[in-house]
Formats: sequence, C-alpha cells, structure tokens
Amino acid sequence: MSRLNGFPFPFTKDQYTYSNNSVPLDPAKTITVTADYKNELELIRKLLQKHHQRCFRSLPLSIESQWEIMLLLFNELASCNPESFTFQKMGGECLFQNHLLAEEEAFVFRDVSTIDLEPLDLVGRHVQEDLIIMGDRHDGLFLEAGQLCFPSNWSLAFVQGMEFKSIHNQVPGIQNDGFIDKVERFISKIQPGAVWERKNWSITVTNKLDTPLETYSVWGKHRQEVTCENAGDLIHLRVEVQRLFRLPMNHDVLFTIHTYLLQLNDLIQQESWLKSFYQNIKTLPEEIAEYKGISTYRTELLRFLENHMEKGRRGR
Amino acid sequence: MAYALQLTVKKIENETDTIKRFTFTSDEIPLPSFGAGAHVTLHLPMGRRQYSLVNNPLEMKNEYVIAVKKISDHNGGSGYLHECIGQGDNISVSSPDNFFPLRTEAKHHVFFAAGIGITPFVSMMAYLKTIGRSFELHYAASGERECAFHGHIQTHFPSKSTFYFMKREEKIAKLKKALQNRTMGTHIYLCGPPAFMDILLEHSHELRYPEKFIHEERFQPEVRIENPQPFFVNLVKTKKTFMVSSGQTLLNALHEIGIDVPYTCRMGVCGTCEVGIEEGDVLHCDSFLTEEEKVGKMLTCVSRGIGHIKLRL
Ligand code: HEM
Ligand code: FES
Repeated sequence: MSRLNGFPFPFTKDQYTYSNNSVPLDPAKTITVTADYKNELELIRKLLQKHHQRCFRSLPLSIESQWEIMLLLFNELASCNPESFTFQKMGGECLFQNHLLAEEEAFVFRDVSTIDLEPLDLVGRHVQEDLIIMGDRHDGLFLEAGQLCFPSNWSLAFVQGMEFKSIHNQVPGIQNDGFIDKVERFISKIQPGAVWERKNWSITVTNKLDTPLETYSVWGKHRQEVTCENAGDLIHLRVEVQRLFRLPMNHDVLFTIHTYLLQLNDLIQQESWLKSFYQNIKTLPEEIAEYKGISTYRTELLRFLENHMEKGRRGR
Repeated sequence: MAYALQLTVKKIENETDTIKRFTFTSDEIPLPSFGAGAHVTLHLPMGRRQYSLVNNPLEMKNEYVIAVKKISDHNGGSGYLHECIGQGDNISVSSPDNFFPLRTEAKHHVFFAAGIGITPFVSMMAYLKTIGRSFELHYAASGERECAFHGHIQTHFPSKSTFYFMKREEKIAKLKKALQNRTMGTHIYLCGPPAFMDILLEHSHELRYPEKFIHEERFQPEVRIENPQPFFVNLVKTKKTFMVSSGQTLLNALHEIGIDVPYTCRMGVCGTCEVGIEEGDVLHCDSFLTEEEKVGKMLTCVSRGIGHIKLRL
C-alpha cells in the first residue's frame, strides 16, 4: 500500500482531454522531497556524469535566473525540511548543507568563480525535480536553460532556445480553440509569489524514469512486449507534477517537473483508481493514445483492467 | 498573487520639497524578493495605492523603499503618507507585483522619465549596473531642486544620464530627438504623466518603432467589486433564464443549473471559464482578457453582468 500513499493520481474525470489544469498551490512550494530522494539523486548524478550534454543545457542569458533559482531552492529545501538540509546566507556568502547526502556547497552569490558548475546544474543535483527556465521575452517564452534527467520522450537538446508554442507543436489538437496560446498568455501573466501546479500523465513500460528521445531505441521497444498477462508488472502510470513559478528578481519562469511512477499491480489495489484509469484509457481519443505511445498495447491493457474489475466484482 | 505583509516604517527622508522616501522593514519576517520595476500596494484608509520600489533588487536588505510625491491633502493617499505616517508606524503592504519588468534580452535599455515617473528606473538602473548591462536615462523635471534622486543618479550613473530642465517646447523637441536613430535590439521604457508618455509614444509610432520594444508604466487600478449586485442571465442556446444573487459568482450559478462550464483558477487569471456574450453590459474583473476580447467574452468566475445579460450558451 505504501506506494499508493502520496501518489499524485491525475484523473479527476472519466474522460481525459487537454485543459489548463493549473491550480494555485498553498503553501507555494516549487519542489517536494520524497522517500525516493536518495535513490533518485544517485540516478540523476549518474546521468549527469555520463550524459552531460543530454541532461544539461543553458544559454548565457539565463545566468541571473540560474543564481536566483539556486538561492530559492536551497532556501526551500532548508525551510521545509530543516532536519535534512541547512542553508545560511550572510551578505553574499552562502553555505548549503545536505545532511541526507553528507555534503555541503559553499559559494558567493553571483560569483561564478566560487562554483565549479553552473548554478542550475549545481542546485539540480540536490533536488528530485527536473528544472527548466523559461525566459520571459518581449516576443514570448523561450526555453533558455534546463537540467532534465527524466523527460518523457522529449529532448532538451532539441528544444533548447525554442519558443513555448513551438515546443508544443507536435502535441495533437493543442492548437484547437487557441488552447496553447491561452496557456502561454496565462504563464506570461503569472505574478511573483504564487506557485501553480498541474499534473500531466503518460505510461512507461518498465519502471525507467529516464526516457529521453535520445534513447528511444532502448526503452521504446518494450511497448511491443505488453500482454494481458504481464501488463501488471510492466506497465507504470507516469505522472509529472509540474509547477510554475515567476522568479521575482529576474522575471523569468521556473518550471519544475517531479516524475512519479506507479506500477499497475499497485494501482489496481485501489478500486476507485482502477475504475477511473480504465475509463480514461478506454475513452482516450486515438490521436492522444498514439501520441502518448499507448496505441500499441491499449487492447491488452484494457483487457487486463477489465479482468481485475471483474475479479473485484466477484470478490464482493 | 500578492498577499499582505505587516511592515514597520523604518525611515522617512526628504527627497525634494514635495517628495518623501519611505523605508519599510520587518523584524519578524523575511520580505519577499522583487524585481526591477516592481511595485508594492499600500493599504491606506482611503484605499489601496501602488508605488514602485526604488531599491536594488539584487542587494535588498529586508527593506522596501518607495518615493511618494505629495499631490493631495491628507484625505488622499500621498497627503496621508506625508502628513499622517511617521517613523515606527505599522503599515499593511501587499507583496510586490511586477507589471513593468525589464526585458533582459535588450541590447540596450533607454529610459524616459518625467517627474516622479523616475521611481521604477531607479531600481532598474541599479539592477542593470550590477549585472553589467548597457542603459541610458533621459529625465525631465521642472528644475534641479524638484528633481527626485538627482544626486543619487549623478553619483551612480553620471555618464548614462541626461537631465531636461529647460522650457516645455525645447524639452519635448530634445526628448523626441533622444528617441531617434536607435539601433536594433534597443528597448524603450516610458514612465511619467500620461501627456508625457503619449507624446513620446506617438513619436515612436511616427518613427515606426516596433511596438514590442516600447514599454510603459501605467498603473491600472485593480478592479474589485466592493458590493456585488444581483443580475439576470439569459442563455440563448439552451433557452434558460436565471438570476445570479449578490453572494454568488456567475460560474457557480451556471453549475447550479447544470451548465458545465469548465474552470480552474476561479480568480480570473487562467481564461478557462470564458463564455461568449450575446448582449448586455458586463463588469470585467479578470486580469486575462484583452480589451478587444472583452467586447465579446467574459470570464464567469469573477466578472458579472449589469442588470440583464444574454450569453451564448
Ligand atoms: C512553461 C513550461 C513548459 C514546458 C517547458 C513544457 C514543455 C513540454 C514538452 C517538451 C512537451 C512534450 C512535447 C513533445 O512531445 O515533443 C510538452 C507536452 C505537453 N504540454 Fe507542456 N510545457 C510547459 C508548460 C505547459 C503547461 C502550463 C501546459 C498546460 C496548461 C502544458 C500542456 C502540455 C500538454 C497538454 C502536453 C502533451 C502531454 C501529453 O499528452 O503527454 N505545458 N510540454
Ligand atoms: S477559472 Fe480561471 S479565469 Fe475563470
């Protein structure tokens, strides 16, 4: 049961459609520390070590916002989890202590000679979230820096420097009724102080968190292997808790992505989730199913879920 | 989303004969950081008043500093601050918002200020100097004595600043000239009395200066309905009529009669709950729709009809 606790189940209705499902968060926090902290940070650091070009990108313009984010996140880690992290700032001199990993970072705010990595790259090695900086420019929002280890089939190298709408171009139906334009306007109007949260979901076959476009040939082929028998083991509901925050000092937007995976065998333990998941998969428009990579095994998955709903009914 | 902070008046200093500088602080809470061009909203007995912050955002030491020109007696906001607020007083201040941000992608920033319109540029120039970016200031005032931050600007940004104390005609001619022959990637910022901004804006149109490179600070009073009135609604497609009571939003009322208008924020900022207006007057309270859109659409979570409206539902 413990896997179910705290899992951000994404479905609120019986039929899934794209919508601006962002809600203001109280308290306004951009990150969350979970029980998987140590394991995930180990993986994040391994990926950064091995594939730095794939997992970290930045444009020079992003440097001030990178510094701001480093202060923000160290502060947040320490104030929300004082037993695990400490942060002190005296003038420009800063000291961050990570008691979970027995590490510390000492640096002078805005002095690049005091750190070995770019600020976003450094602070990203202490949080479970992927971190993206959207530069707020006079002609739109642009992806200007990111530390991205757990993308769901997209590539940081590809989208670096791209404008918000272009990034979303290949999502089916996203232009309908000016949807993505409205989302962009919404983001560009976010004022300092508030954190907005939305959930996005997908399915990963196996429990792999790092599924970038670059290694599709490695993980994508498992989609062919799903059967009605093994679906419970192989299939994982993947939920991205995404948060948007206006950086007060530099006016750019921080976008954090916390990825959660839940194995189908665990999910079906909760009857309401089983039903809701089934309804949503069943009624998912074909183009979205195709886009999310579910079409290949949708029939097998539905049959698996039906069997379990049937069992539930008989069991009672 | 601004929230109220209880702050203490730490210092009040004379900037000119009619302009005072107020420094607010708190011993209890860390003040939220802010950006160049940001403002705070003071909650005064006569209502809410917005003032630009003038400190350097990158060197903020738990203080907010504003400069206020006295333009009223103590019944107005500025007069009240000048006459009735003293050191050590407590004051309720909304956390900073920013409707006049710098466009950091600019190759060069050019600021045009008149009178007390200088305030947002004081924080902008400090910020740009700290991060090492290129800018210049053109500042019109009636004379050196009346010119807020004159000494401060002369000390910190002498080579980047031009003052205009001459007669009106000459001033305008010179300011227009300063707008001309700008290189690509230059962003222009205007702040001052409406007449001043209009002249420069109009000239920028004559010069065909791209609109997205011109930014103006015009404080917009926030629209808040103090005592909401009931109104009647006609749905032209589903042919329903109902009343929205004073304690209810239009969105709630629609849901009550089974019209499933989608929503998310319920604060007029996401644009999800829009509906088309067929007929009638609407009190728009959102911060999302453009002026053109407001002609035919409304956001049902915050905006209200006046009297009787017809919706395309
Ligand atoms: C500002 C930060 C954001 C960034 C950097 C971002 C980036 C992305 C990327 C890279 C994708 C995958 C595109 C692909 O397949 O190549 C995506 C998908 C998507 N995005 Fe965003 N996005 C952001 C914010 C938002 C917001 C606020 C919304 C909606 C309110 C949104 C709605 C969507 C939707 C509906 C999809 C399709 C997802 C799916 O079906 O799996 N995005 N986004
Ligand atoms: S629900 Fe967001 S604007 Fe109405």
